[in-house]
Amino acid sequence: MPFLKLENIARDFSDGRQIRRVLFPTNLEFEPGALTVLSGPSGSGKTTLLSIMGLVLRPSEGSLYLEGRDVTTLSDNEAAKLRLQKYGYVFQQPMLIEGLSVMENIALAFAVQGAHLPDHFRDKTEGLLKSLGLEETSHMQPRLLSGGMKQRASIARALIKDPAILLCDEPTSALDAESGQAVMAILKRIALEEGRIVVVVSHDARVFPYADRLLKIENGTIVANTHERYVEAKEVQ
Amino acid sequence: MRSLTAFRMVVHDRSSTAGALLGVVAIVFLVGQQLSILFGLLNYMSVLVDHSGADAWIMSANVRNADAGNLISGRYVDRAMGLAEVKWAEPILIGSGLLKTSDGSFESVRVVGVRRPRLAGGPWDFAKADERALLDFEAVTVDRLDLDKLGNPVLGQVTEIGDRRVRVGAISEGARGFQGTLVFASLEKVKEIVRTPSGRYSAILIRFQPDVDKETALNNLRAVMPEQTVYATDELSRLTQRYYFTNTGIGGSFGFSTTIAVLIGIIIISLTMYASVLSRAQDFAVMRAIGGRRRDIAVVVFSEVLIIAGIGVFVGFLMLATLLNATHGSAIPSYFPKYVPPILAGVALAVSLLGSLIALRVALKAEPASVFH
Repeated sequence: MPFLKLENIARDFSDGRQIRRVLFPTNLEFEPGALTVLSGPSGSGKTTLLSIMGLVLRPSEGSLYLEGRDVTTLSDNEAAKLRLQKYGYVFQQPMLIEGLSVMENIALAFAVQGAHLPDHFRDKTEGLLKSLGLEETSHMQPRLLSGGMKQRASIARALIKDPAILLCDEPTSALDAESGQAVMAILKRIALEEGRIVVVVSHDARVFPYADRLLKIENGTIVANTHERYVEAKEVQ
Repeated sequence: MRSLTAFRMVVHDRSSTAGALLGVVAIVFLVGQQLSILFGLLNYMSVLVDHSGADAWIMSANVRNADAGNLISGRYVDRAMGLAEVKWAEPILIGSGLLKTSDGSFESVRVVGVRRPRLAGGPWDFAKADERALLDFEAVTVDRLDLDKLGNPVLGQVTEIGDRRVRVGAISEGARGFQGTLVFASLEKVKEIVRTPSGRYSAILIRFQPDVDKETALNNLRAVMPEQTVYATDELSRLTQRYYFTNTGIGGSFGFSTTIAVLIGIIIISLTMYASVLSRAQDFAVMRAIGGRRRDIAVVVFSEVLIIAGIGVFVGFLMLATLLNATHGSAIPSYFPKYVPPILAGVALAVSLLGSLIALRVALKAEPASVFH
């Protein structure tokens, strides 16, 4: 049984006058331990697909299965609970909350529903930040960090809950080449070493070499689904 | 963590916090000072009744307030004393007169005559000398706050009220009436001044024996003088206050200004919270995407409001206390019953929450999917 399965998933949008299909029936399966890059031109439907996979957007048709359970029509609260437990998100912009320190931004991802932070939370966060090259930043305000550091902090926020699925929307688009490479290397390591499903949406060809699997989408349809590893793991480490 | 997030947002978004804070402070301070003046005036309305030291007042029939009773016969003093529940019964005579000031002009005063030697219904607090001054037939008291108006008379100064010779025997403190300057004198002197028929009084004050059931005693009093009105003191106080409140336009005036203050506060809070939440819309969408429910967003927004409202209530009361202290003992009527601050704080919190509802609506609309755009 695949960990995450999309079965005939399609999505329509309406502008009030007409309904437009932006994602045509799509069948995909994802297993832990691989980094998938989803690429395609602007408006091709890749963000829509990612949003549906991430339980933040409901499909118009089809079914979404998570660990064999149909999660297509969950209530708002049930979907939020699953997002909290199973998912980590890295957005195009880091979207750290101003006013909260890096540590507090990470803590919010853990306790956004009001749960108490576990005793080991601080140590775990410090360790995570260290592994992402962000030592000594835990008490800093996001505005004091560089773009690359912010994006890595947002990765820390996504990883603090040990999510099974990490969804990343253009995580390198706002970064310089060097920072982008560093972020992709981290995501690659997370997928391989920590055995997570990592899906990266990007139309930046520089991220393709990090992919274990490359999906190409055009006009709402998956046109390529390549399972070849573009580079050996040792080359990106 | 949600409350901490709210706190951090409040601290970080200084301009919107300051705006919302201004709204809460405006509500607490403006409404508070309006209420303090209103309660101060209410105190003036029933000042004679409240400080009479009596348990009950016997007045003429169909009385609508303590200042508008017809004269009643002194025989009711004896009739009241005939009841076992009554400890004492003392007549009081209230009238008007013109007091000749130091510069020869005249000032209208309310003269209150109290019977010696008990002096029931007389002044209760003094700035200079004391109530024993009224044991002198000619002595009168004037209030400290009215001294300037009356030409700053000094103790022992002889003057006239209603062409009758009086001597300033004591300076009272806080004896100000809603209808004007209060001057206390002996019953006989006031009879001379207002020229009432012999044996007629404005009211008879009653003190019950200790340990008697006051309701029973009141009913017994009413039974022996059915043609007169018998009020418990607090009942007459409320009746008098309600009469002036509803018949003089004070109620409407204060109600209007208080409503305006509350509305201004709501508008300020609404606008600033709306702007604040709007600027945080993306953050709320992020919180939703990472697993926050709508109720978690509501907790953050309400926590923000409660933090701001809490600080605003504190600052508002601080300013109010400063104002009340500054005006204490001045001619500005101000009084704050103990039960008012908690109610005012509760109203300020409720109004703040009300003001944040539009902002909450915006916050709850934050779609988690929007973070992927």
